[in-house]
Amino acid sequence: MDFTLTPEQLLIKDSVARYAAGEHAGTEKWPQFAELGWLAIGAPDELGGFGGPLETLILMEQFGRGLVVSPYLSQVVLAGTLLRAAKRDDLLGSLVEGEARYTVAYEEPHARYDPSLVATTAVRDGDSYVLRGTKVRVLDAATATTIIVSARTGDEVSLFALPAGAENLELVPYATEDGHDAGDVRLDGVRVDGSAMIGEFGEGLSLLGLALDHATAALCAEGLGLMALMLEATVQYTKQRQQFGVPISSFQALQHRMAEMFIEVELARSMAFLAAMTLDEQHDDPVARARGVSAAKVQIAKSGRFVGQSAIQLHGGIGMSEEYKVGHYFKRMTIVERLLGDADYHLGRYLASQATKAKTPANATVA
Amino acid sequence: MDLAFSTQERAFRDEVREFIATQLPEDIRRKVQAGDHLVKDDYFRWHRILHERGWVAPGWPVELGGTDWTPVQRHIFYEEFAYGWAPRLLPFGLNMVAPVIIEFGNDAQRARYLPKIHSGEEFWCQGYSEPGAGSDLASLSTRAVLRQAQDDSGRDVYVVNGTKTWITAAQWADWIFVLARTDPAAKKQEGISFILVDMRSPGVTVRPIETIDGGKEINEVYLENVEVPVENRVGDEGAGWTYAKFLLEHERTGTAGIAGCRQQLETLHELLERESIDDRRLNEKIAQVEIELEALAFTELRTLAAESAGKRPGPESSILKIKGTEIQQAISELALDALGPYAERHLAPKYFNYRKTSIYAGSNEIQKNIIAKRILKV
Repeated sequence: MDFTLTPEQLLIKDSVARYAAGEHAGTEKWPQFAELGWLAIGAPDELGGFGGPLETLILMEQFGRGLVVSPYLSQVVLAGTLLRAAKRDDLLGSLVEGEARYTVAYEEPHARYDPSLVATTAVRDGDSYVLRGTKVRVLDAATATTIIVSARTGDEVSLFALPAGAENLELVPYATEDGHDAGDVRLDGVRVDGSAMIGEFGEGLSLLGLALDHATAALCAEGLGLMALMLEATVQYTKQRQQFGVPISSFQALQHRMAEMFIEVELARSMAFLAAMTLDEQHDDPVARARGVSAAKVQIAKSGRFVGQSAIQLHGGIGMSEEYKVGHYFKRMTIVERLLGDADYHLGRYLASQATKAKTPANATVA
Repeated sequence: MDLAFSTQERAFRDEVREFIATQLPEDIRRKVQAGDHLVKDDYFRWHRILHERGWVAPGWPVELGGTDWTPVQRHIFYEEFAYGWAPRLLPFGLNMVAPVIIEFGNDAQRARYLPKIHSGEEFWCQGYSEPGAGSDLASLSTRAVLRQAQDDSGRDVYVVNGTKTWITAAQWADWIFVLARTDPAAKKQEGISFILVDMRSPGVTVRPIETIDGGKEINEVYLENVEVPVENRVGDEGAGWTYAKFLLEHERTGTAGIAGCRQQLETLHELLERESIDDRRLNEKIAQVEIELEALAFTELRTLAAESAGKRPGPESSILKIKGTEIQQAISELALDALGPYAERHLAPKYFNYRKTSIYAGSNEIQKNIIAKRILKV
């Protein structure tokens, strides 16, 4: 066992940390991401790719610490994993170069996080498919050039790449509470060529499952970064803030709350690593993957809520102020908690994975 | 980063597993599995078997009968105890007083005490807490006054007076290590000495304390004008607090009990299956505890990896103590909840008993103080 970072991993950590600590709000940094090689994490060697889930974890944790607002999660981790699994190096190449921007539209209004509940249809018509349906909260839809949509093709679900400007595709973008953006997409008879299919016919849910596991693990890492920073900010603030003639950090009620925050951050850190490791080592076992990743999301959601709420509480009034940073971290954490499935959803998924797997052997160690 | 156990570590696990499966007496295994109280002879027999194999004192230096295991190997060793339903040996001699004697004792003390701790010939207990000194251990009031012995030998003795409490296994012990105040004028933490007392000395009385689960594993020990040879003091007079803290750090490692929790959860699942209980809300509660246990298990591995890389076990072990005991308690609650009224007779004592875990070895509130002061530095 060895938890130290390799020199390459340290390099990523340092370069991302430097970026995240600097001024990064509001401006378009995508070409810089491409130049730094961040868009190539997880891509195949032939495309200049490197690394995998652990490198993604390192990057996303720093993004969390720096509250970096970027479509990295949706356009690189989610869409990138999907394209790679579908063996679409032709499309992945332009993603790595930073030229094409993909997002994935899988959530539907009634589905409550479950990617298998698909009402959108793709009906074959000669050489083409015609798509109808509604997708909600499509992450970073406004900057995407291509939207990958899940649709029912008979009993199966398949994936289709639609140009963002396709005819009969209506996109309603909106800003989310955390400063990110998303969009609702209405498909009212969008016609695409059969070659727009991503992956095999009927392969949609298995591709989506893999990509969502990778994105969820990455999101856990971002949550870890958010939490770690909120704890540090809280400790720092309570040491400076004076009441009753002393720093409020000298009060045991606050000390114990911060000790509990620390414990939650460490448990979250462990689970973020566990999720990345599960993806590394049990890539081809959907049940093991679901178990590891969903367990991590449950922990991150629970820890994140506690750490976020405690950070606001211990800051007092200033924590409520829009001017001060901790509130913004709290808002992003609240979104992270729910994005790609909340604690209840993932607890259900964890239980389902347990029902399918054989009983835990007595010597079950960490994956 | 390499987060898996090595081939050698896995081979070591197999070796330990095989040993426990073939060498642990069946009656002891059954008692541990059933959660029954063990008697002294159970501990003694298992001690001898481990001693025979050379595995009785993994933490000791090799030349004194220890092993040269890495922290990871030690971790694996104790995990296998839990998986094989083997009892952990009582820590008071092997893991508590012995490290203090090794580190701070003199040659004569090492020669006198260590071999008999190692062989199991002498049992020890811990004389720390007092009726008026629990978490605030340094406020202890047991006195040790140096003077000439009452017999005609003319040798120097400490005359010890005081009451020690919550003492596990005192009824079996041959020796007790005692923190006693040798200089009442000194500041609180100074003026305390670390003294080894023969339980057969005149003036030593043991009274059992019955706990809320009906158990009698702890005792009060009264020391009334007990004469202790001055050479039974370990290290310097007045430096006992330093040794006590050293010992407490040793005590805290390995309190997470993760493998034990996995076994308890497994038993709970078997129970549910046997009784055909399938309740969604209960399953969710169990799953939540399982996930937290996974998180803690991985946290322990991270601590171990840091230790292997040369870092001393630090205040991070407080996380393991707090969360480990919370999870142990949660599992005992779940078992109670799962079976409802008719099982209370069997499971309630265990639930009652497990309330102790968040109190002993530095209460969980004290552990939070440690995290706040030593990690967060507030």
